[in-house]
Amino acid sequence: MPLCIMREIRKTYVAGTLQVEVLKGIDLDVERGEFVAIMGASGSGKSTLMNLLGCLDVPTSGTYVLNGQEVSSLTDDELSVVRNEHVGFVFQSFHLISYATVLENVLLPSLYSRKRLRQPRERAMELLRMVGLEHRVRFTPAQLSGGEQQRTATARALMNDPDLLLADEPTGQLDSKTSAEIMALLEHLSQRGKTVLVVTHDPNVAAYASRVIRIEDGIIQPVQRL
Amino acid sequence: MTRYLLLLSQAMKAMTAFKLRLVFCSLSVALGIAAVTIIVAATEGAHHRAITMVERFGPDSVLILGGSEESRAVGRREHTLTLGDAEVIREAFPTAYLVVAMSSVGDTPVSYRAQKHRTRIIGSTHDYSRAWSWPVEQGSDISQADVQGSRNVALVGQQLRNTLFKDEEPIGKYLLVGRIPVQVVGVLSERGASGGGHNLDDRLIMPLSTVMKKLLNERTYVSAIRVRFFHTRHLDRQVEELRNFLRLRHNLPEGLPDDFRIISPGEIIRFLVAFTGSLVVFIGVAGITCLVVAGFVLANLFLLSVKERVGEIGIRRSVGARRLDIRFQFLGEAVFITSAGGVLGLGLGVLLSYVLSHWMDFPVHFSWKAFVVGMILSWIVGVLSGLQPANRAAVLAPVEAIRS
Repeated sequence: MPLCIMREIRKTYVAGTLQVEVLKGIDLDVERGEFVAIMGASGSGKSTLMNLLGCLDVPTSGTYVLNGQEVSSLTDDELSVVRNEHVGFVFQSFHLISYATVLENVLLPSLYSRKRLRQPRERAMELLRMVGLEHRVRFTPAQLSGGEQQRTATARALMNDPDLLLADEPTGQLDSKTSAEIMALLEHLSQRGKTVLVVTHDPNVAAYASRVIRIEDGIIQPVQRL
Repeated sequence: MTRYLLLLSQAMKAMTAFKLRLVFCSLSVALGIAAVTIIVAATEGAHHRAITMVERFGPDSVLILGGSEESRAVGRREHTLTLGDAEVIREAFPTAYLVVAMSSVGDTPVSYRAQKHRTRIIGSTHDYSRAWSWPVEQGSDISQADVQGSRNVALVGQQLRNTLFKDEEPIGKYLLVGRIPVQVVGVLSERGASGGGHNLDDRLIMPLSTVMKKLLNERTYVSAIRVRFFHTRHLDRQVEELRNFLRLRHNLPEGLPDDFRIISPGEIIRFLVAFTGSLVVFIGVAGITCLVVAGFVLANLFLLSVKERVGEIGIRRSVGARRLDIRFQFLGEAVFITSAGGVLGLGLGVLLSYVLSHWMDFPVHFSWKAFVVGMILSWIVGVLSGLQPANRAAVLAPVEAIRS
């Protein structure tokens, strides 16, 4: 069974009397271990799609099954648990907590976990070694370069060993060299079996993926191999 | 459980991360808590002082002073109590084990060799020490023979002994009271200041007969009568009986005020409560105002902080924090900050209390009560002012929060 199954997903935003339908019936399957890129222009609905995939938001209609669980009708608390256990996010602007150290930022998901990790610190250190930041453990985000911040964010996303790693324009604020580093890291994770989903408008980034989904005006375009 | 401890550690981190907020919020709370600390310390201080004063005065004792309350208030001393009064009280009240008359002369010159001093002379019957529960430290008390023979002997208070005799041994020495030579037979132990603030150790005790005959040239009137009862339980009723008895003896018709005044332990406590009460009310109003203002300052700064930290809230939500977790963290921050303010306020309060007690002879006493009251109040302020901002933070939609 695929990790993510979306059927007829619609999302409508209401602003006063104005209704804007951003997603107009999305059907999407993501298999375990896939490396998928979602491409589209700004305003195409790709960020909305990612929020739904990551359970940050619920669709207006349609069904979404993540890891065998129907999530489109869950409560806020239940969605939090799903995010905590099954989804890891990497954001364009890193989104690290400024007053916490690198290690504390990586540990963050374990704070809200129902399952108690036996040695969260060891796990965090291991992840930081993997992303090559073991020498930056006590630094605060402001003392890090952009690439290092994004690697910290990636380590954090992996903390609770999620089924799905979602990256929203992960290289949007990085130069081409560090972009390549981050993408190589995501590729490495994908090779180790992690399901990775990248939202981007950059073809160079999308080139790392094994499958590219184009979204335009709220609808997924027919599959085309590059 | 561990989850909440971890969340509290996050709150602790955030508290120290936003230093300006910490300083302003905890300072404003500190002022209020300081005031409250002073109140608690003062109330307890008054209570303690009342207890020690009653202890010294004698919980089983009353003191009857001559002259009406009104005349005493304007500083006029009327002589209304007689030796005879003391005599009949002794006979009429078998419930009292001690009835002694006494007279006093204020501001009398005494001297020893070159040392001169002005002090208060108390004329007492024998057993002054027993009547006032005031131990004689050196030498002996005035004896019955001393009183019957109107002998020129005296007990000296610590302060007087220090002023006149310095390091010299006072027992057996003669000093001059006015022009009369008087031999020192004993030294009273130290007693400190009275509730009114004047020093009790600056006094000289002589036989009542000696004081009346040789200093006051007086045969019948005395300034006070001290009565000690066997049982303290019905003291108020006994005081009332004593009052009615004296009114009858003094032929006071209905409607005329007492021409004497009875001071009882209950009265001493009422006096002290009134003494500290007004200040307590003043500081209390100031303290509560401070805490309310602090609460508003806190609530506003917190709301500001929540707005500033929408991004952080979004991050926490995206990694799986529930609304409850966010609410708990922000409420925790508020309570931590007010607790810091509370601790600061306690320190400040202790400091200010000592200043007050030093300058104004304001009784203060510290115990765990001031600490508990201060901390609980600061937590209440923290919870009340943190609740709304914490809710505001908790209900933010994760998508909205992370987008900002």
